[in-house]
Amino acid sequence: MLFSLVKAIAYYIGMALLIGGGILDLMASIGLSRFKSFCLRLHVATVGAIGGTLYPLIGLGLLSLSIDQLGISRYYIAGIAFTTALFLAITAPSGAHALAQSTYKSRTVLPEPITTDQIMEEGERGVNG
Amino acid sequence: MNLMPPPSITYVLLVIATGIFMVSSIQYFLRLLRDPSIPDMVLAIDLLAYDLSVLMVLLSILSSSPYLAIGALPLILWTYLLNIYVSRYLVKRGSGE
Repeated sequence: MLFSLVKAIAYYIGMALLIGGGILDLMASIGLSRFKSFCLRLHVATVGAIGGTLYPLIGLGLLSLSIDQLGISRYYIAGIAFTTALFLAITAPSGAHALAQSTYKSRTVLPEPITTDQIMEEGERGVNG
Repeated sequence: MNLMPPPSITYVLLVIATGIFMVSSIQYFLRLLRDPSIPDMVLAIDLLAYDLSVLMVLLSILSSSPYLAIGALPLILWTYLLNIYVSRYLVKRGSGE
């Protein structure tokens, strides 16, 4: 009884994460083509990476654990989904940060809209060498 | 007492989720085709690869086979490598090396 209750809770949480993440991913894909500047699109990419990929992967892991029809392969699929979600949580923010830093340093894309540029001000004052 | 829904409802919901992710992937792909700047292309490729990894796990559940899901993790790591490589390229190009 308790085991079936835990399985049902995992199923419903997993399905909610999957469908909710799909909607967030759809919003991110619309925002990526609608937003004006690269820095704004970087925020949308975070929604797509965390909301549209991390949550669905966790949801898929929970779902596969709760679906009996998958047999023994549900443990493989859940393991892959959780491991991928873990690595995504580590790599996606650092990758986006590296991209933002490099575009700023190389002046490939101007940071717009911007009210104050503290990195440039500190550079002019010689704070960071 | 069975708290789980019938398998047919699960199947329909998984197919709906697959459709949502496919529509998002198509939008990312169109963005990739029509955008000229390198950082925006990398951003679109990132999100396309993330979507593809979710689709791989989804399809492996739908087909009851774990072999398709194995590619999801290398895809995420490859995307990170692409980010780092392009970042280094942009910094080198910007500093005139």
